[in-house]
Amino acid sequence: MTDVRLQRLADVLVQYSVEVKRGDWVHLGGDASGLPALRALYQSVVRAGANPTISISDEFMGRTLLREGSEDQLAWVSPLETLLTDQVDATIRLIASNNTRAMTSIDPKRQQHMQLARGPIMETIMRRSAEGALNWVLTLYPTEAGAQEANMSLEEYADFVYSATFCDREDPVAEWRKVSEMQQQKVDWLKGKKHVRLQGPNIDLELSIADRVFLNADGRRNMPDGEIFTGPVENSANGWVRFTYPSIVNGKAVSGIELRFSEGKVIEARAEQNDDLLQSQLNADEGARYLGEFAIGTNFGINRFTGNILFDEKIGGTVHMAVGRSYPETGGVNRSVIHWDMICDMRTDSEIHVDSELFYKNGQFIV
Amino acid sequence: MSDVRMLRLADVLVNYSTQVQKGEWVGILGDVSALPLLREVYRTVLCAGGNPTLFISDETMNRIFAREASEEQINWLDPTQTLYIDQADVFIRVGSSTNTRAMTGIDARRVQAINVARRPWLDRRLTRAAEGKFKWVGTWLPTDASAQEANMSLEEYADFVYGATFCDHDDPVAQWLKISEMQQHKVDWLAGKRDVKLRGPQVDLSLSIEGRTFINSDGKHNMPSGEIFTGPVEESVNGWVRFSYPSIVGGRAVSGIELHFHDGKVIDAKAEQNQDLLYAQLDTDAGSRYLGEFAIGTNFGINRFTGNILFDEKIGGTIHCAIGMGYPETGSLNRSAVHWDMICDMRTDSEIWVDGELLYRDGAFTV
Repeated sequence: MTDVRLQRLADVLVQYSVEVKRGDWVHLGGDASGLPALRALYQSVVRAGANPTISISDEFMGRTLLREGSEDQLAWVSPLETLLTDQVDATIRLIASNNTRAMTSIDPKRQQHMQLARGPIMETIMRRSAEGALNWVLTLYPTEAGAQEANMSLEEYADFVYSATFCDREDPVAEWRKVSEMQQQKVDWLKGKKHVRLQGPNIDLELSIADRVFLNADGRRNMPDGEIFTGPVENSANGWVRFTYPSIVNGKAVSGIELRFSEGKVIEARAEQNDDLLQSQLNADEGARYLGEFAIGTNFGINRFTGNILFDEKIGGTVHMAVGRSYPETGGVNRSVIHWDMICDMRTDSEIHVDSELFYKNGQFIV
Repeated sequence: MSDVRMLRLADVLVNYSTQVQKGEWVGILGDVSALPLLREVYRTVLCAGGNPTLFISDETMNRIFAREASEEQINWLDPTQTLYIDQADVFIRVGSSTNTRAMTGIDARRVQAINVARRPWLDRRLTRAAEGKFKWVGTWLPTDASAQEANMSLEEYADFVYGATFCDHDDPVAQWLKISEMQQHKVDWLAGKRDVKLRGPQVDLSLSIEGRTFINSDGKHNMPSGEIFTGPVEESVNGWVRFSYPSIVGGRAVSGIELHFHDGKVIDAKAEQNQDLLYAQLDTDAGSRYLGEFAIGTNFGINRFTGNILFDEKIGGTIHCAIGMGYPETGSLNRSAVHWDMICDMRTDSEIWVDGELLYRDGAFTV
């Protein structure tokens, strides 16, 4: 008996997130450990009258390539990947894992070498997506490994995932439309505003959003979703922030991060754990010490930290910022090889003022 | 710990059957239930310097498609498959199953329609193979389902499979080279011959092999192998044959098949079980009532019928004929979306005469 929530998730992704239409070419990709979800998605795509191409990957083989492949083999991009990226109408990418720590001993340089070769693929995805020619969405299927990473049992973790995606409701699409409408009202209110000031026990920071665009992340690109985000004016951030939750880089947690900004740049940084990783991230390149994103999480179905950024950054009552690359569609112009999110809890004694008006208090919007 | 015999099988496939070279584009195809062997093949291809592309399929999705796809969806050809078959160098397919009877409830005509739609892929693959531009091999990984289909336990069935592929020997390749030499001797003897007559309790058939080529099937395309085969002159087949073992189509067994040929065409056909499937196969297209293959099985490591054509057709002491698609490299001109093998036991009171000389008696060659 299939979990009815899984079928709902598949339908939300196919019918709402990427809006598959009859005759569309749809690419489904994910690890073999996500097979139940891939099957549900496959069925949903076939029922929508579209043409699915399925790419089932295997973590084990992925590791074999990273460990044993030559430089040429790592950099080889299958012509099929290029063809799919150039031509499909929609892509649904599923995260699923049998072991979230299995990559621990793999040399990150070899991963970077592989990612570098896939740069043109990423660029095509971004370009076609911006042109409206490609709809894509990223989601997650709960496995034992994902549950373990989150310190939960599988049944608790499944409850968590399906609640965050509203798939524990009979009509999740209706819920996402509500979120979308609520967020759109905030985005509209923020239009033309300039100055943002965040205050609270963890934060005392100001930044400018003049001429920048807030985007309504309403489940089209990420499932779950629930945030509004922009790219702050690059040299405008001043002040201090202490991030509440660990930030993960290459599977390793950096916790107790504190950053101090002056004219946009991180001038002081420390972490309680894995401080060396924090420093190496900030020193990655010129853009790595500037913010590429400022965002407010709105999903109160996500009420705990699980170490997976797909969920963590949307926690209702938090804000997050990313050092590094900004999203061009926000108007952000920061360039960097990194984009690293950090999350700050705003649910206690915290406020956001925008152009001196109270916009947000203790995790809730006021306007 | 992996079964050492499975590691040998991966090595045979990559380094003997397809002889993967540095820089070659290698497709690795199989069901998710074949993951253990797919992983070893993947590693071995990397070691040989090839660039592997994975095509992992799933029986459940195949059934969803066979049950629910519209005519439009069935006729859609996945451009990634077309590109792969047009341009890749190597095709390694691992068969396996989690339930050999799962297709029982699917309408045979729908399965047929899917095969017809995908016929251009089969044509293209065989044509490129005949031109020497595409190396391909198919093999089989033992699972409980196939063991059950063969009335064996998994460990008995694994012994059977690795026995048939010589992977229970330290040096399976040496064994395959011996078979190759023995078969080449028969193929050389048959070169330039014309008339073949088969006589026995189950067969009374004549056919022409004039101008046609016998192929030495020595483990390059099938693993296990052990047969010599040709495509008979299309309109030359006359007489009658009763096949000893059931032939499987879409997971269903058609048993007790008898065919009457006149000038190459099947003019009368019956089966004891699933006769409707036999007719559906014969009526697929213009080529499906003509023989595309005539072959002699030589693998005495395969000493029992298991319901899997990869093994059954090589049973030492049997012959088999296939209706439908012929292999172009034999000189066969028959084209069809079907290629369906049927096996006739020749171990008792049976003979094959070629141009008036006795070639074969009671399951053994006499030349």
